[in-house]
Amino acid sequence: MRIQVRRTGGFAGIERHAEVNTSGRPDAHEWHALAEKAVAEGRGTPPIGVPDGFSYQLTVDGRTVYAADPRLTDEQRKLISRVLKEGA
Amino acid sequence: MTNNGGLEPVFCTIVPPHVLDKLARNEDPALSGPARRTLVRDAQERGRRRVSAEFGLAAAPRAKAPSDQPLRTLYDAGHTTDLPGTEVRAEGSEPGQDATVNRAYSGLGATFDLYLKAYGRHSIDGDGLPLDATVHYDENYGNAFWNGEQMVFGDGDGEIFLDFTIPIDVIGHELTHGVTQYTANLTYYGQPGALNESMSDVFGSLIKQYTLGQTAAEADWLIGAGLLAPSVTGKALRSMKEPGSAYDDDVLGKDPQPATMDDYVRTGRDNGGVHINSGIPNHAFYLAATTLGGYAWEKAGQIWYDALTGGELTERAFFGDFARLTVQAARERFGDGGEELQAVEKAWEQVGVRVL
Repeated sequence: MRIQVRRTGGFAGIERHAEVNTSGRPDAHEWHALAEKAVAEGRGTPPIGVPDGFSYQLTVDGRTVYAADPRLTDEQRKLISRVLKEGA
Repeated sequence: MTNNGGLEPVFCTIVPPHVLDKLARNEDPALSGPARRTLVRDAQERGRRRVSAEFGLAAAPRAKAPSDQPLRTLYDAGHTTDLPGTEVRAEGSEPGQDATVNRAYSGLGATFDLYLKAYGRHSIDGDGLPLDATVHYDENYGNAFWNGEQMVFGDGDGEIFLDFTIPIDVIGHELTHGVTQYTANLTYYGQPGALNESMSDVFGSLIKQYTLGQTAAEADWLIGAGLLAPSVTGKALRSMKEPGSAYDDDVLGKDPQPATMDDYVRTGRDNGGVHINSGIPNHAFYLAATTLGGYAWEKAGQIWYDALTGGELTERAFFGDFARLTVQAARERFGDGGEELQAVEKAWEQVGVRVL
């Protein structure tokens, strides 16, 4: 499973992008469960967030959904921070 | 919440009107339904004090004038994302151990002061709205935002961004999003969104200048100076004096802001480039303010304030619409043919914005 996160906006307006490929990872199951929940709760079109809030684009195996701060689900927040931290 | 008419609480206070507007058009009835009902409720309550209901104060119109003192409350999210968090400092209490809390408290006070003393505005809604802010939001959170009813500040990750309460202009920037919300309510997308961002940068910078007692010539005209970690190659996040010059770093890339319409960036990202194209009206303000000289909040700031709050600026205004209102405000406040009018007209011309 290929999980990509693109974060735009924020006070700084600086974009970040990272992705994780779960194949061969010992914790792949955990990633899959998290990613499926996060995507299921995403929006099909980008929501207009709050002023200076981050906007997120989440792509899992080619399927893209959108979310924006501060109204992320726990799974979305967890997945996004893990991918931005551990991804390349 | 006692006055939400049985609506889903999530739509009751947090979501700004332009977001509700968008949600109301959503295909998913689970999203559009509550948003539509909230918009109807808001319309019914308009004319009454919408905020009094939201804050659980008396619903009847207030008979006495709002106070000349701010009503600040600071909360600590304890590195979670729960808002508002635990109350850590109330209005009038002594500074505590947490420098972040104390900085935010002072910044809210400075913002309240500028709006009141320079423009006669009582808090961000013009009617004494309590000022709430949450610090230590989330872990290593490199951002600050206005959620429609309060400010939220992250601690930064320490590698790129430091604590977002460090620059006073960032605090002023966030609160000015509130002022914009309560006045022109500029849609947070594309040109009106870039204008919304520019209002926050302009008044954020003026709050810093007012606090430091700087003239237009003395000011640095930077947004977010002191926010970047020492390892980052850059002086701030944006420069009103020279948009595009704030940083040029291996990790962050280069400041993408244009100074004139020739370099206007068309993009769908960042809500249609709201933090990018704000460089253009930002630079226009800088040009007008430095041409006029003296304290920027007195003349250029007054003109911009009049245009923002005068009631004629629409939610979907373009740069040219705003420019027209500043020209009108310069004429009405300082006289036809005066140096103020000339400076404002020249500033828009220099950044390539045609006055509509």
